Amino acid sequence: MESRMNELNNKGMFGLEEKLSSMLKPVMPDPVFMNHLKTKLAKTPAVLLENSKRRVGLMVIGAGLFAGALTVWILGRLKKK
Amino acid sequence: MLESEVEVITDDNAVVLACGGNPEAFSYLYEKNVTRIYNYIYYRIGSASDAEDITSRVFYRAFGHINSYVDKGVPFSAWLYRIAHNLIANWHRDNLRRKEVPLEDHLDLPHKADQPERMLEKNQEMALLLKAIRRISADRQQLILLKYLEDLSNAEIAQIMGRSEGAIKSLYHRALIALREEMDEIGYKSE
Repeated sequence: MESRMNELNNKGMFGLEEKLSSMLKPVMPDPVFMNHLKTKLAKTPAVLLENSKRRVGLMVIGAGLFAGALTVWILGRLKKK
Repeated sequence: MLESEVEVITDDNAVVLACGGNPEAFSYLYEKNVTRIYNYIYYRIGSASDAEDITSRVFYRAFGHINSYVDKGVPFSAWLYRIAHNLIANWHRDNLRRKEVPLEDHLDLPHKADQPERMLEKNQEMALLLKAIRRISADRQQLILLKYLEDLSNAEIAQIMGRSEGAIKSLYHRALIALREEMDEIGYKSE
């Protein structure tokens, strides 16, 4: 009984492998995209700084804190006068 | 520069030359790998435009870090696949709301020579198969795609995925079982 189950299981797996083999075919990327990327890479300097969302976020927060502190400082100076 | 001084770029020296800052060598590696990396990404995420975007980022990242690349005796493509794998994970994390890729996205897949009804049927079948593949774990997806898109042996996949050949065999078996379960779950009839 168990060997029969294994046999059916193996048949099912073989069918699945055949299905994957027949359906998963490589696709060609757009040649325009490939050439464009190749050209861009060729023009890029060797040392590349990637844009980091985190870095941008930290800069925005930093700028905000600086602006806030500056406002508080100016208001403090105005009150003293 | 004299012609005799120009080193001919081959599979054997391309990585070393690219690591040394030779842009032609990197272009050579790009030409050799761009289609396979694009395919891998495309089948993992199912959107041609996003696949182009991520493919670009893979090569920019590789280009930016080529100086720190250490040749460990595994194919250069293994490094690119690893970068792609990480960027795909980021893409999925950033697109959690877009969990399901519309089936229509796959209607431009192969089988163009068939009759329209048969073509539609095949494309729907393909969409369901891809849906099932994308529901299994990332490492299982990677294994299935490397095996069937690239036609790589277990030994080659083991090198790329940084595992032993035995581990790949075992992972492959589990991947097929998981895929079959997912296909049953979404109502895909493979016979």
